[in-house]
Amino acid sequence: MIDYLVMGAGLSGLMSAYAAVQSGHRVKVIAKGLGALHWGAGSIDVLGYLPQARDAVVRRPLERLADLPANHPYTILGPAAVQDGLDKFMRLTEELGLPYYGAEAAGENLLLPSPAGALRPAFLAPAAQSAGTASDDAPMLIVGFERLRDFYPELIAENLTRQGIAARAVKLPYELLSDRRDANTVQLAQELDDENRTERLAEFLREAVRPGERIGLPALLGLARHAQVVTRLALAAGAPVFEIPTLPPSVPGIRLFNTLRAGLEARGVRVEAGMEVIEMNAEEGVIRWVASETSARPLRHSAERFVLATGGILGGGFMSDHTGRIWETVFDLPLTTPQSRSQWFRPAFLAPDGHPVFQGGVRVNAAFQPVDAQGAPCFANLHVVGGALAGCDPLAERSLEGLAIATGMNLLKE
Amino acid sequence: MHTTSWHSVGPSLDECIKCNICTSYCPVSAVTDLFPGPKYSGPQAQRFRESGQPDTPDQAVDYCSGCRVCNEVCPTGVKIAELNARARAQIAKEKGIPLRNRLLGRNELMGRIGHYAPRLANFGLHNAVSRFLAEKVMGIARQAPLPYWSTDGSFGAWFKRTQKERLHARQKVVYFHGCATMYYEPFIGKAAVAVLEHNGYEVIVPPQNCCGLPMLSNGEFAAAEGYHQRNVNSMAGLARGGYPIVGTSTSCTLTLKEEAPELLDMHSPDVTALKMGVWDIFEWLRELHEEGKLRTDFRPINLKLPYHAPCQYRAHRVGKPALEIMALIPELEIPESHARCCGIAGTYGYKTEKYQIGMDVGEELFQFVREQGDDVTMTACDSETCRWQLEHGTDLPSRHPIEVLAAAYGLYDLETRELTSQSNSM
Repeated sequence: MIDYLVMGAGLSGLMSAYAAVQSGHRVKVIAKGLGALHWGAGSIDVLGYLPQARDAVVRRPLERLADLPANHPYTILGPAAVQDGLDKFMRLTEELGLPYYGAEAAGENLLLPSPAGALRPAFLAPAAQSAGTASDDAPMLIVGFERLRDFYPELIAENLTRQGIAARAVKLPYELLSDRRDANTVQLAQELDDENRTERLAEFLREAVRPGERIGLPALLGLARHAQVVTRLALAAGAPVFEIPTLPPSVPGIRLFNTLRAGLEARGVRVEAGMEVIEMNAEEGVIRWVASETSARPLRHSAERFVLATGGILGGGFMSDHTGRIWETVFDLPLTTPQSRSQWFRPAFLAPDGHPVFQGGVRVNAAFQPVDAQGAPCFANLHVVGGALAGCDPLAERSLEGLAIATGMNLLKE
Repeated sequence: MHTTSWHSVGPSLDECIKCNICTSYCPVSAVTDLFPGPKYSGPQAQRFRESGQPDTPDQAVDYCSGCRVCNEVCPTGVKIAELNARARAQIAKEKGIPLRNRLLGRNELMGRIGHYAPRLANFGLHNAVSRFLAEKVMGIARQAPLPYWSTDGSFGAWFKRTQKERLHARQKVVYFHGCATMYYEPFIGKAAVAVLEHNGYEVIVPPQNCCGLPMLSNGEFAAAEGYHQRNVNSMAGLARGGYPIVGTSTSCTLTLKEEAPELLDMHSPDVTALKMGVWDIFEWLRELHEEGKLRTDFRPINLKLPYHAPCQYRAHRVGKPALEIMALIPELEIPESHARCCGIAGTYGYKTEKYQIGMDVGEELFQFVREQGDDVTMTACDSETCRWQLEHGTDLPSRHPIEVLAAAYGLYDLETRELTSQSNSM
């Protein structure tokens, strides 16, 4: 019998598993598929915008947590626990060889270029992204590649220039990355793991860069040998090198997933994909088991405690139908999400206040147990973490990863 | 004529959110331009496929190996591998099936023909001239790891011959051996019988034939349907009677459980009864263990044994039960492979035009084995064709976990692949 069964292998699930195994518990992670981390930028957004001031970037996120509503997961945890979770994440990723860094001015958000050349607030970023911070005034050389889809260096450089950041663009031959006719960013990153390819690219970068510039490249600088690739390119080019995240699939996100999964497995935690939970059994408010779909009979998973880390409507934790009904897929927990399609969205796609459909979720008590309308826990041994939580808008706030880490890492907090 | 409904698998393509995770994990599109990836050949090309449409929009789907890694990682549950298998059947219907694929689809027939004179058959198949001819005339790669017929007789003959020594007990379990155990590797079946009897179960081996998977993989759906129906006729009654039907071949058991019913749209009560009664042998032993009924009188095995759970095993979606049970054996160290696929994918890697792709796909696994160090003398893997590929790619012998378990019970010699004398005196 295991102590904790975690459902979901995104950041919140992996963090919960880590917190539980570090406390000496037996833990297993099951997931329908791989997601979440494979789509994100690989950076850790804690709080980029406040609900009441959507057009002003939050400079010091941890100091503004007090401005969030009372039912916000950060408020329920309290700022000390949020900080503690982030510290643990930094120590863990450093130990596992994929270090994350914050801004040089401690406590501030980094402003990092997006693949459209916009500046996005992130609290922590992998080493290879943090060198692209806007607070550094070294001019940027944005390097793209012919035929590489969805990464246009001219667009990025022009938009950065308009925002007062000196940037110019250059496009290198696609053949530097691959001999393949076509490949996606993950496959290209694997090709760059090859030293000869890194060397050839380094030569071109050395030619292209001007003194004093730093070089921004699409986030495909190696997968398994990422750190070596970045170091080699920077040394050979004689300039700092940084990554700009691409459209999904996200190489920085996959690196983080692979790293955390390996770290968990080294601690004896299995992470199983391809297992969708389709059934549950509870007696007197205590969950006995959940069952996942298989090629024949459902497979039962018994545990002392269960962690729901399946995400919200985007992560697959919630489903909807054509009437606008939205439900949580495993336990059918009560949701605060509007149950009518006409109330899902505001008229503007990029509405500054976000969209109600992304703002609802599972209401929890101080122990992160889901609660019913009267505030009573639905089940005694269920915790909810990450994107499924109510009281927040991870998209509009830019808080998705921060929420995942803070709620996951504090799973066992009294 | 056999027609397939496009309704049970097809609608899942609407769940595709174009995230490309499948393409990122696809082991085939990672090594060749000939296969653009699951997203393109699966849910995207599917929008241009209609039942009865004259031309298929995507010939490249023939390069899908059917490993099902795409299904495993898809966050939204698109049945990509099934879409591709049906598309290959459509191509087979349009263009006909080459003789080579018909032959590869009939390994049961090949097995039976060869087993009458195994030494002659082995010589006939495994010599440079015939492999050269097989490559030139048929397109079966000359280096590909084709199996050797057992010179020790078939599993069926052994089981019949040793009936008097077999355990007769109230608790009974049905064994599905598959063609490979029957004709090429009877020792796998012997190990399975020894393990089951050691746990107090009488083993029933009912009449059975090929599960049909090689035909499904090669687009011969109509023939596969006949094979599956005969297995259903033979075993549905046993399943209904509550006898667990366990198999040592992970792809056979997957076919009986899911592939055949789903791809062939066979959903009769008998088909479903069989589906629900079939277990991978370790899936069932794990269940036994959870009930506290698995004997754990294991001898230590002082060995470092890299283990690869084959893609067709992972497609059962039951985790890695063989790993969990082997982990109970004292002193056995089992580094776990995370390689996606060994590359052989059933009959895929045998084909001349796909042999190198298969080897390139398998490199991830071969490298994992090499990285485990020089003290590794053996590997473990559940699927027969994967073991042959693993041996081909690493030059190390490979064993089925059931052989390892039988050895831990002291019933089996891992080196010689023979039952020990103790097993006969049970």
